[in-house]
Amino acid sequence: MLFVPIRPLMADFLNRVLLDNPLAIVVVVSLVVGLLMVLLFGYTSNQKAIKVAKDQLKAHLLAVRLYQDQLPVVMRTYGRIVRGTGRYIRLAFMPLLYVIIPITLLIVQVDRYLGSMPMQPAQPFLVKVQTAPDTLNDLSLQLPAEMAISAPAVHVPADNEVVWRVVAEKAGTYNIDVAAGGQTFSKQVVVSPDVSRLSPTRLRDRFWERIFVSGEPALPDNSPIQAIAVTYLPRNINFAWLEWNWIVLFFVLSMVAGFVFKEVLGIEI
Amino acid sequence: MPAQRLGHLNKREGSMYLKKAVWILIVLLLCAGTLLLFSCQRASGEWHGDQKLIILGIDGMDPQLLTRFMQEGKMPNFARLVQQGSFRQLTTSIPPQSPVAWSNLITGMNAGGHGIFDFIHRDPKTLDLYFSASRVEAPKHAIHLGSWVIPLGGGSADQLRQGEAFWQILDQHHIPNSVFRIPSNFPPVAAKGKTLSGMGTPDLRGTYGTFSFYTDDPTAVAGAVEGGQIIPVQVENSQVKTQLIGPDNTFRKGSPAATEPFTVSVDPIDPVARIAVQDQEFVLREGEWSDWVPVEFQLIPFFGNVKGICRFYLKQAHPRFQLYVSPMNIDPSNPALPLSTPSSYSRELAEEVGEYYTQGIAEDTKALSAGVLDDKEFLEQSRTVLAEHRQIFDAEFPKFHQGVFFFYFSSLDLNSHMLWRLTDPKHPEYDASAAAQNGSALEEFYQQIDQVLGEVLPKLDENTTLLVLSDHGFAPYYRSFNLNTWLLNNGYITLKAATTADNSQAFANVDWSRSRAYGLGLNGLYVNQRGREKEGIVQPGARADALLKEIKEKLLTVRDPQNGLPVITRVDLASEVYQGPYAREGPDALVGYNRGYRAGWKTILGDFPPDVLEDNTNPWSGDHCMDYTLVPGVLLSNRKILAQTPALTDIAPTILAEFGIPKAKGMMGQSVFQPDRAAR
Repeated sequence: MLFVPIRPLMADFLNRVLLDNPLAIVVVVSLVVGLLMVLLFGYTSNQKAIKVAKDQLKAHLLAVRLYQDQLPVVMRTYGRIVRGTGRYIRLAFMPLLYVIIPITLLIVQVDRYLGSMPMQPAQPFLVKVQTAPDTLNDLSLQLPAEMAISAPAVHVPADNEVVWRVVAEKAGTYNIDVAAGGQTFSKQVVVSPDVSRLSPTRLRDRFWERIFVSGEPALPDNSPIQAIAVTYLPRNINFAWLEWNWIVLFFVLSMVAGFVFKEVLGIEI
Repeated sequence: MPAQRLGHLNKREGSMYLKKAVWILIVLLLCAGTLLLFSCQRASGEWHGDQKLIILGIDGMDPQLLTRFMQEGKMPNFARLVQQGSFRQLTTSIPPQSPVAWSNLITGMNAGGHGIFDFIHRDPKTLDLYFSASRVEAPKHAIHLGSWVIPLGGGSADQLRQGEAFWQILDQHHIPNSVFRIPSNFPPVAAKGKTLSGMGTPDLRGTYGTFSFYTDDPTAVAGAVEGGQIIPVQVENSQVKTQLIGPDNTFRKGSPAATEPFTVSVDPIDPVARIAVQDQEFVLREGEWSDWVPVEFQLIPFFGNVKGICRFYLKQAHPRFQLYVSPMNIDPSNPALPLSTPSSYSRELAEEVGEYYTQGIAEDTKALSAGVLDDKEFLEQSRTVLAEHRQIFDAEFPKFHQGVFFFYFSSLDLNSHMLWRLTDPKHPEYDASAAAQNGSALEEFYQQIDQVLGEVLPKLDENTTLLVLSDHGFAPYYRSFNLNTWLLNNGYITLKAATTADNSQAFANVDWSRSRAYGLGLNGLYVNQRGREKEGIVQPGARADALLKEIKEKLLTVRDPQNGLPVITRVDLASEVYQGPYAREGPDALVGYNRGYRAGWKTILGDFPPDVLEDNTNPWSGDHCMDYTLVPGVLLSNRKILAQTPALTDIAPTILAEFGIPKAKGMMGQSVFQPDRAAR
């Protein structure tokens, strides 16, 4: 009961400070992922063996300094360093693999939100449709009432592509339809000032590309259309007086967080 | 812990703790002292006065046109200001050229003091020409590795205007100030307040603006035209693959221009095209302008790049492909050369108002002169420039609360240059149908400036002084006078044997051993002086003076055979009109043309067109590089101007006097709010 009055405020705070703030999202995701990476690594790795391997490497490095005037010893130690490094990589490889797979999937999902910016009302954007050569001149674009075509379609025979310039009157999540060969295929377009889940392209076939860049169901196999794309603008995040792609910033922050958490949790990496 | 051990600690470590405590105390005292000193400095550096000064610098506002528009009720805010305050003609600079005039205003000195005599200067030893306002140089030393050049040290961008700017003096007296887009301030001089460079700022290629025009028209002549480049292209499978031209790549042997590929896909039927540049794509209909498009030119792969911004205009999709690309402006978000103080300000402004023209002369007059843009297209571009300037003004003016605020508008000057012919039936380029379409455009620009004034007037209070001023007025430019041809015909220049006069390279065929004088720049007349010019033959002193006197007398007798009017109404000798350390570094005499006349385009750069006088058939149809007494500027204020004949050199002393600061050494004028010059 005590928290009831502040619930809307908290929701508002979360919405404004976190959900509509790409930098805050990246920071939070990086911290959580940094922590999870360290924990996962700790659970899936042979901590004792890694500690021994690292201690041995340190000992070999020390030996190089101590016996620097004894060339045979130094050379032997270099050999041991190479072997020790190999052993360390072998010990770390599988746990890293366990860590990398979920992180990759996470990046793909977060990239839907942070990779690009939604369109803004009155901001022109392009709708690009890639099709079979014989249907290039038979395509038409059907828009919701809140959207309008602001220039004639550009037919690009060299790329088997038709490009429309479109502008939206007001914010919203819309479906635009492309008609070809008696069929209609829709594509989602988001016009919003907020951070939103975006799918820049809808694809036919191309499984791996779909996994990484499309957030919509595949186009039917018999569709003459191969791709419908919307030119969302890439998002840059201002941090430390620089403009960052969120993935680069995520890697930097999650690494920093990982190193901090490894010390706190006493996990060997 | 045993007592014995505690006692041991007390003895040995007690003194250590005491030492530590003393050190901590010293550090704390030092911190406190530093803070106190800093806050005292800040307190003594802060200015607490109520006085405010707003200056609107309107390049080329003409007193005659302003009076006419006010009388016709088209400029109500100016009329109100005149009614409540004062309106005077403002004596311009000698010569009345913008870089000279604004330097007079900035420093309170004439060209002898600030060293800017023209748009272009010459090196007397080589007769090489260079921009008068600034010099951008590559590193002096470099290592050559194959086709690569590795610089040893950085290049430099130097401002060539001498003398202290009025805002630097204000800074010394801790008067807050902001100076936006003032000419002759590139790169901007060190300043505490916000400044943004204006006229004189080059494009990314280091020129005053070089447009590109891509066309498949076989009749178009490929290559460089004045202020631009015509680039032939092929439309294949409805696509044009070509390149944007960037700055010279000084990291490559021979410094070839850096380029970036771009593709234009033209719809086979409709007049529309998709343009793809780097990772950007946009669609343009025929007759449509793009927004600013950022372009990154790679000078060294992965290491060195420079960023520019440009705008595209699809002039025609079919039957001929014609695409105009604006000069590559320095990107204000990532400036390759300094544009502002503080240096981050140009970026912050771009974040606030969007990208904007950084090139000093943004209106593309050269594209209109070359026929690449027509009147309508030029006007669209020109209106965009003014809209951007108004956007910057609207962003910055509300932030002004104390000290000095200066804002410069270029639109009246450049549009008067280009549109005069549409308002004057006597002009050789007057076209009644063109006049019917766009004859009122110049008036519209004046009215827009009136709207700007309308935003300022409500902010005035008893502590605020407003100055609205222009650097010069305007006059028609009907006929060109080719000074070098006249000098040639009158025996002051001799050509080498068996050569023709009209040559594309400046003074290429001049026999300097038999030439006594030459013309260079819009008003400059130089003696080929021994010891100064490389092949000088005229003794300095009495001989040079006598020669100048002789030429002056002859020039003043030149009449236009078409109408009998004098072509030149005054010739000022530098020795008589310039004061200051640079007085002898410019022209020896300044030729003042009558209204309707100006130096011809070719003679300015040292060429010899066949005729001494010829009609001006260039769209550049209005001008001010004439007799300075014929093209005064304007000075308006909400306060009573007591000076009857104020001059540009009075403005800096006026600004300083408003804050109780005496005029600096070398400044020539006095506050315009003091009684007139004779009484002063």
